[in-house]
Amino acid sequence: MTVTVQTRPSRVRAGRRPAGARHEARWGLAFVLPCFLLFLVFRFGPAVAGTLLGFFEYTIGDSPHFTGLDNFTRMMGDPVFWQALKVTVLYTVLYLPLSIGVSLGLALLVRRSFRGVRLFRSVFFLPVITSLVLAATIFTWLFSSSGPWGKLFGGSWLASPVLVIPALVIVSVWSRFGYGMLILLARLQDVPRELEEAALSDGAGPWQRFRYVVLPQLRPAVFFLLVIETTNSFQVFDLVYVMTGGGPARSSYTLVMDLYDQGFKNFDLGYASALGVALFVLTLFVALLQRLLMGRGK
Amino acid sequence: MRLRMIAPAALLLAATAACGSGGSGGSGDDKQTVTMWLYPVIADEAKHKAFWNEQIAAFTKDHPKIDVKVEIYPWAKREESLATAIAGNKAPDLVYLIPDQMPKFAKAIEPVDSYLSDAAKADYRDNVKQAVSIDGKMMGAPILMGANPLMCNQKVLDAAGVEAPKTWDDVLAIAPKLKEKGFDVTNYYADPSATLNQSFYPLLWQAGGNVFTPDGTKAAFNGPEGVKALTFLKTLADKGYVEKDLLTGIPAFEQTHLAQNKVACTWQQVPADVESFWGAENIKIFPPLTGVKQAGYGSIGALSMLKAATSKEAAGQWLAFATSPAVTKAYDAASSFFSPQKSTGALYSSGANAEMEKTLDLMTGAPLHPKARDVMGVLAPEIQAALIGQKTPEQALNDAATAANGLIGQ
Amino acid sequence: MTAQVNSSRAVRASYRALEPSRAGKVLRVVLLSVASVVTIFPFYAMVVLSLKPVAAVEFPGSLVPWPFDGGAYERVLGGGDLPVWTLNTLVYSLVSVVLVLVLASLAGYAFAKKRFPGKETMFWSFLAMVMVPYHVTLIPLFVLVASAGGVDTFWGLIVPTLANAQAVFLMRQFIAALPDELFEAARLDGASEWRIFMRIVLPLCKPILATLGLFVFLWHWNDFLWPLVVGKSTDMRTLTVGIAALQEQNVPLNVVLAGATVAFVPIFAAYLVGQRYLTEGVTMSGIKG
Repeated sequence: MTVTVQTRPSRVRAGRRPAGARHEARWGLAFVLPCFLLFLVFRFGPAVAGTLLGFFEYTIGDSPHFTGLDNFTRMMGDPVFWQALKVTVLYTVLYLPLSIGVSLGLALLVRRSFRGVRLFRSVFFLPVITSLVLAATIFTWLFSSSGPWGKLFGGSWLASPVLVIPALVIVSVWSRFGYGMLILLARLQDVPRELEEAALSDGAGPWQRFRYVVLPQLRPAVFFLLVIETTNSFQVFDLVYVMTGGGPARSSYTLVMDLYDQGFKNFDLGYASALGVALFVLTLFVALLQRLLMGRGK
Repeated sequence: MRLRMIAPAALLLAATAACGSGGSGGSGDDKQTVTMWLYPVIADEAKHKAFWNEQIAAFTKDHPKIDVKVEIYPWAKREESLATAIAGNKAPDLVYLIPDQMPKFAKAIEPVDSYLSDAAKADYRDNVKQAVSIDGKMMGAPILMGANPLMCNQKVLDAAGVEAPKTWDDVLAIAPKLKEKGFDVTNYYADPSATLNQSFYPLLWQAGGNVFTPDGTKAAFNGPEGVKALTFLKTLADKGYVEKDLLTGIPAFEQTHLAQNKVACTWQQVPADVESFWGAENIKIFPPLTGVKQAGYGSIGALSMLKAATSKEAAGQWLAFATSPAVTKAYDAASSFFSPQKSTGALYSSGANAEMEKTLDLMTGAPLHPKARDVMGVLAPEIQAALIGQKTPEQALNDAATAANGLIGQ
Repeated sequence: MTAQVNSSRAVRASYRALEPSRAGKVLRVVLLSVASVVTIFPFYAMVVLSLKPVAAVEFPGSLVPWPFDGGAYERVLGGGDLPVWTLNTLVYSLVSVVLVLVLASLAGYAFAKKRFPGKETMFWSFLAMVMVPYHVTLIPLFVLVASAGGVDTFWGLIVPTLANAQAVFLMRQFIAALPDELFEAARLDGASEWRIFMRIVLPLCKPILATLGLFVFLWHWNDFLWPLVVGKSTDMRTLTVGIAALQEQNVPLNVVLAGATVAFVPIFAAYLVGQRYLTEGVTMSGIKG
């Protein structure tokens, strides 16, 4: 399916009069408007205000002073920023394929109905309904040297500068895969059975059926997951905050940890906002890239 | 038809705009409201509330026109909730702060000097008053004090047949004997989110060092004293004399060796933390360790007034009352803390708390530098790097000092 | 597993051939069982550890569920205003769910199936806002809500969370995949736009609305920072904030887990009731026809 906003014009619509187009535009706007207004006031406004702060020096109880690009120059020369960027990218690179892979694999396994399928689906969804902080708490124990994982591997992964990120990725995947699975599942159930049967009668094997029949149908859902999960993993915070505090020795210090420390520990709100701008630009860039790639693949 | 869809949006917008002049304000007849935010200093919320209701009742007898409201906030995310409240002009008039937070909120804080009587100010212990003063002004009126001397587990000392250490040399001498029996000599929290006030700074002070130079223009922790302190600590870590998990994370307390009766002595926890695990009879308090000199960290809780307070005078009157020796004495006894004032006398007659109380004057407060927290943020991960063997103590401290000097210079 | 087929009898066979072979079925069950155990294990550990006395955490002894100890629950439930907090949390979550679903499906439908000026810009600005870190917008958002008098009110708590870009994005992606012909047919029959939305779009979106609704509910139910910041007075506390306020700084693991379990039970109950709808999906004959 298409991922761009332009949906393919149907034959019927192509023949309509301009008045129909105006009618359509009016209704389109009317449907979007309530959401858009709320959005403008409560998301866009604060986001713009927050972003602009990146060009100011601002601390609590003081009024902001305009400092131009100072915060950004400082950022470029700040080794902590580069470390945080490295950690964030590494985390995302590990997390994305693993999380989408697990979601997709399980969605395919439970898409058809068989005895017990509902039980499996329900079980896989359980982690999603537990809060992330709770997951972080319990996994801290599981990984610690008194917990099973720590005992199995003879020490805590969270204590290793190398293994700490894989450990955090495991927790993330555990707590999120049910979400992806369900979204893909909802989409999979719309894949017309006839299409697959037709492919089957054309002699297509399971992989070919998946690759050429099922996957194209899943594209909008996969694109959604990609963008949302990229954003989530670029902004990973709660988990790191509870489980490692960014350690050991900054090996799991992510960009939002840095942003948080600058903003709410040091109250250097201007610099924190500048970090937010950097993160925003990075995320947007990756999302546009993903859109380009997904769009081309169709 | 179209109207039906636009209506909700318009309604929402109107609601947003119309409520512009919200805000509760005082309830007429010039009664003034003073709001105070506290945190669960007394863990039992019902008891905590009851305590303050009693105080408020006593206070309003003499000040019928002042209405005091106490809100108890969770510890979690307290900086965010306070910072947003100040920025949004919804902050309380008085708030519980620790000296650590004061430099960062300094611009929003009203010094309390003019709201306390000279007698009240003179009654504070000298180290307490110093710990809350910035440029000679008191940024809060202390209401409680905690001490972190050396606390030892008698059961562990007996099992290994050793005496409680007095100096760093003693620590290194008894550590192998303890290790042989499966005990740690002490514990050290190196997770970057743990405050250095309780962990590394006492060692730095004991080595004769300081976090900042006296004029505050540079970091001083990378001098020979700092290197000595970190080397001492690294020896403990390298030889396996302290619990490994604590070097990289903060497990739930009951999972630590300390709670499991496997640690001889600590300067990072206090009796209230361990009593249910050790049994009161096994808790022994000793003066803080001596390296070159003797030093320990003393924590302080204070009530600070915010500049935006609606009626500073009313808030000041309540502040003076709430931090008067009679109130602090009762509050501190109920929360197992100590009094920051001299006139209250000893709060405890026996047990560990009585021993702790005797060490109060040996305690040093956190460094009150405007960049103290930022510096902690760059120093803590470097200490951790040294302890897990990524850097030598000199390297780690020098790297941290470079970063810290950059922050101070800004 | 595949079969070359031509005759109509063989087509029926192919229908069955889409199902895995016997060996495939066994493998499927094995894989799913392993995945289930891995999924459940941490969860099992949470509940069991919350029922242990303080400090009974050494593996493997700590994972044997007996004997029970309710001490942690007594600490969590004792003395609090649990009913008030639960009610506040319910209002916050349920009102938000209903409004978000309505707003997001309206906007998602328009973005997916309508052409109007500024659509592309609007859509990408929606999406881009998901990418601005929450901590950057927190203070400006609070200043806005506070200056409009929203502190300590339900609307101040709820309204700013309704502009849920992720929900709009999700709805758009799903509605975009529905065939246009369905809407065109209704339009040619003279159905109004509103009617098309109510009678065609919403019913077709049932499975995804159920999923999304549950998620929105969970986001709100587990939210901590925003309710903490907006609800200044004790009467406005939600469950997460209320339970956190009962805790001193060094909370034992079993008490943390007990608190979390208390907050979790209502969700779990709602999930048990609703999961059939959620995970079974709905056969969408309209699309296949």
